[in-house]
Amino acid sequence: MKWVTWKNIGVDRMACIWLIRRWIDPEAEFTFISTGEKSSPKDGEPFDIPGERYSHHGGHCTFYAFLSENKINDPILTRIAQIVDEADEVQEVTVEPAALGLDLICRGLRQISKDDFEAMERGHLIYEAIYAELSKDEA
Amino acid sequence: MSTWLLLHYKLPNKPSALRVYVWRKLKRIGAILLHEAVWVLPDLPRTAEQVQWLTAEIQEMGGEAYSWRASTILGQDDESITQQFHEQVDTVYSDLLKKLGKPKADLQELSRQYQQTAAQDFFHSKLGLIAREKLTSKRGEKS
Repeated sequence: MKWVTWKNIGVDRMACIWLIRRWIDPEAEFTFISTGEKSSPKDGEPFDIPGERYSHHGGHCTFYAFLSENKINDPILTRIAQIVDEADEVQEVTVEPAALGLDLICRGLRQISKDDFEAMERGHLIYEAIYAELSKDEA
Repeated sequence: MSTWLLLHYKLPNKPSALRVYVWRKLKRIGAILLHEAVWVLPDLPRTAEQVQWLTAEIQEMGGEAYSWRASTILGQDDESITQQFHEQVDTVYSDLLKKLGKPKADLQELSRQYQQTAAQDFFHSKLGLIAREKLTSKRGEKS
């Protein structure tokens, strides 16, 4: 199916795109519209756009919304949701020191990528790596 | 000329926990409340995203919120606003430096404080640089 979000993806949306392709919709196609632009239904399911179903809710990031809306129960993904939450939302309690580093990497990744399509491929690799490494902790 | 982010919101009177929640979030970001009326932040990629999500969150809570990008009409006002941001972090930095000078300073706790303050140090305070150098030079020191 088709998915749409604003241009200039960062830590949360790179994680969401990785999650969609890996767990929710392997055939996913993505469209990137200008920041602030309203998405139209023909672009597909919007995500990480304020007010949408897949967006920030109750102080949690969009990645978190994807997990809860799709009832995905995977301890490693829950851990990644906590990291992304701390990287992308204002949190009083922080328990994941990796969060700020990951935010920095994803911002830089977008900066050195020619467009969001390239950035999402590179982001995919980052989250594959994080998932693999965190899996060792869980084992 | 600087571009600023402004946020103005109205929340239902009850529950009061919501008001506290939003207020604490803005303090955590490092925003300044001007004249008890409007919250101000410099327009940076990170702060802009934070304001965007907070605006949406307040609306979701049943409140009303508007946020703007704005520039001052009188250029000298930029300086006085910037100065307020400096003062906000410098208070913490000078307290931190005082604590660092004491014997048996809790370096872990002070580094945590430093990191939190540095995240709000939008205009790169000189005192912050000094605090950072002091902290890193204490590293590995046997007291």
